[in-house]
Amino acid sequence: MAETFQNLALGFSVALQPPVLLYAFVGCVVGTLVGVLPGVGPLAGISLLLPATFGLTATNAIVMLAGIYYGAMYGGSTTSILMRIPGEAASVMTCIDGYAMARKGRAGAALAIAAIGSFIAGTVSVVALMLLAPPLASFALRFGPPEYFALLLLGLLVLAYMSGGSMVKSLAMAMVGLLLGMVGIDQMSGYFRFAYGVVELGDGLGVVPIAVGLFGIAEVLATAGQEVPPAVLKPKLRELLPSRTEWRESMMPIGRGTVLGFLIGIIPGSAHIISSFVSYAVERRLSRHPEEFGQGAVAGVAGPESANNSATSGAFVPMLALGVPSGPIPAVMLAALMVHGVSPGPLLIKQSPELFWGFIASMYVGNLMLLALNLPMVGLFVNVLRIPYPLLYPAIIMFCVVGVYAVNGSVVDVWIALGMGVLGYLLRKLGFETAPIVLGAILAPMIELALRQSLAMSDGQYAIFVSRPIAGTLLAFGALLVLLNLASWLGRGLDWRRRIPLDEKGENL
Amino acid sequence: MTRPRLGLLVVTLACAALASSVAAQEPYPSRPITLVAPFPPGGVADLTARPVAAAMEKVLKQPVGVINKTGAAGAVGMQFVAASKPDGYTLLLALSSISIIPEADKLFGRPPAFTVDQFAPVALVSADPTILVVRAESPWKTAQEFIEDARKRPNQISYSSSGIYGTLHMAMELLSNAAGIKLRHVPYGGAGPALTAILGGHVDALASGPAVVLPQIKAGKLRALAGWGDKRVAALPDVPTFRELGYPAAEFYIWAGVFAPSGTPEPVLQKLREAMRVGVGDPEFKSAMDKLETPITFKQGQEFQKFFEADARRLADGVRKVGRIEQK
Repeated sequence: MAETFQNLALGFSVALQPPVLLYAFVGCVVGTLVGVLPGVGPLAGISLLLPATFGLTATNAIVMLAGIYYGAMYGGSTTSILMRIPGEAASVMTCIDGYAMARKGRAGAALAIAAIGSFIAGTVSVVALMLLAPPLASFALRFGPPEYFALLLLGLLVLAYMSGGSMVKSLAMAMVGLLLGMVGIDQMSGYFRFAYGVVELGDGLGVVPIAVGLFGIAEVLATAGQEVPPAVLKPKLRELLPSRTEWRESMMPIGRGTVLGFLIGIIPGSAHIISSFVSYAVERRLSRHPEEFGQGAVAGVAGPESANNSATSGAFVPMLALGVPSGPIPAVMLAALMVHGVSPGPLLIKQSPELFWGFIASMYVGNLMLLALNLPMVGLFVNVLRIPYPLLYPAIIMFCVVGVYAVNGSVVDVWIALGMGVLGYLLRKLGFETAPIVLGAILAPMIELALRQSLAMSDGQYAIFVSRPIAGTLLAFGALLVLLNLASWLGRGLDWRRRIPLDEKGENL
Repeated sequence: MTRPRLGLLVVTLACAALASSVAAQEPYPSRPITLVAPFPPGGVADLTARPVAAAMEKVLKQPVGVINKTGAAGAVGMQFVAASKPDGYTLLLALSSISIIPEADKLFGRPPAFTVDQFAPVALVSADPTILVVRAESPWKTAQEFIEDARKRPNQISYSSSGIYGTLHMAMELLSNAAGIKLRHVPYGGAGPALTAILGGHVDALASGPAVVLPQIKAGKLRALAGWGDKRVAALPDVPTFRELGYPAAEFYIWAGVFAPSGTPEPVLQKLREAMRVGVGDPEFKSAMDKLETPITFKQGQEFQKFFEADARRLADGVRKVGRIEQK
């Protein structure tokens, strides 16, 4: 313990040097911007800025890139809450209740809760990263395809919790999402599925174009189609802060989101996205008012937003402790280290202590910076809602198109987003929720790959899912959840899920 | 349109025509050059492209910008360069997969994204042999033991790869064919996840570029058994090659080279080759490649052409031997 504090002191002596502070700040600002821009997520942001770090020292480079990563998680909630456009994939869940809160005039509260939740999660998870990195890292590596598959199945259960409306409709949408996720190169055989000769479709339909289209563009189309234009919201200053009740309702979700996010974040893969889904499901399951979810439940913002922030620290665990590129973003950051001649590996902490501890300390500082950056911005961002719709909506469409194009520089992606926008509009007219489509499209390729890798590992034996302790436990947990749900569903007969759609039928049109 | 304006238009057009004919005679290069890396930033192609661009820039006295045009395992960026104007202003930094993609397209009977003859080789920058690694606690101490065991237990020993028909998969297939063994293939979505899989104990073996696994070997997590090169890897002098062990057909390199679209005028190609030849001698370039732990292997002209063709033949053969998985 004493050694940890000594090391941390060394870290702060590095992190508080003016140049390191400056690059941490630049990273946080860029990250916030990247998060705010629809479509452009942390991976795109880090990739674009990677060449710019080649001239820096290794510490400055890594501190700046990390700032972009966790900064994006702060910024990602902004457009989700204000305009129902996910700033990046991990903010998809925030679109649901965050936007509903904004419609009720609680945009300021939602933004503030998201920022504070992110800060708490960010700080607590860095402590966990510092103390637990080496032992946890080897545990994280035990998450192979079977374990990942079991975790993703749990993620699929989330789909059942997604909608406040009809269960049948939301499951139907989930199926559409799973089908969309089938497009692209079959990773096990190299076969191009549903590509119709378009090389770009080989990578499948990206999460970003789907989410931006179904949420952002469809929202604009739907609102523009209303006979009576919605009233422009005029948020008042005193309404910016969360009320006492909102505080109380978000504290526990922030705590749970933090723990959950960190644990899921250390798992190799794109786990930070899943962490927000799982957190949403947990909050809804534990809530005393599950019927409020989808209608602007503050817990539905606090939990997922904390989870996705905490997951970024988790993702650094295998990267720093073992030098393992545990996901696309850590992989780019490891490349940044290699360019500077720092060979990332199990010996990194021993060989470059000032780099490791400087990095850790800079994350404490960075989280403070982000809070200071984001809280005052709440008042500014909320004013976006004052912009008259004839000006705001064309601007939103433009940002959507630019954001989607920027991710891969691909026009095909823009067409996908526009197509999804039209699809989303039609589905909304028919009273379908579109969030399960996005979730399905995100989960489908991951589940498929994990399932088939597991079967390749076991030569086709399904026993691999129950014979491995972690996978077996997760699956048993999932089965238990399903059974509990079935029991309560059978017991209650007509439950709230059936009653709600009747009440809100008028609003959907 | 009024008459005076029409006159103006004619004059403008004439000027433009004159300007373009002047441009055609201008010595190459007279404007910035784009070097396309068909993989995302941080990957081998990108990390090699940047020092290459910087070194070429110094010699050609024109900015050389790297753009990442990614997608479909590199096919998007390669197709982009194949279809661009052969004027020497759009170049490609390709990896071995340039020879694999058209062959896989052929296998599936789909219209090829591009063909190999759409590119004119400029120069080879690096060619790293893959090396066979297993976990340190695994029972195999030597490559012979590994191959013996694989013979006794066909399809029991598993390996991860960067993806089906990917470079790391091809390396293992070439070895399997050469040694007459059958291994169990578990594809992952990239070299990073493939490394994570072997470290986590989810597969038994991996063919990998040396730079990626060296830190893990040094830390005692992985053991190198043999290499696919025609000579030993400098950083691992004790690790034999498969050629030494009697499997000369197991030869494979992860290489990076610069290409121009075919049809690029010979003088322009000459200039580019010369720029590359001078560029690789640049100390900054050398130190950048050193940091990546990727030795420079420079070949150009006929020599590169020969290397490229031999490599393409081996890979085409490998792809055909793997065949179509979904039909098995």
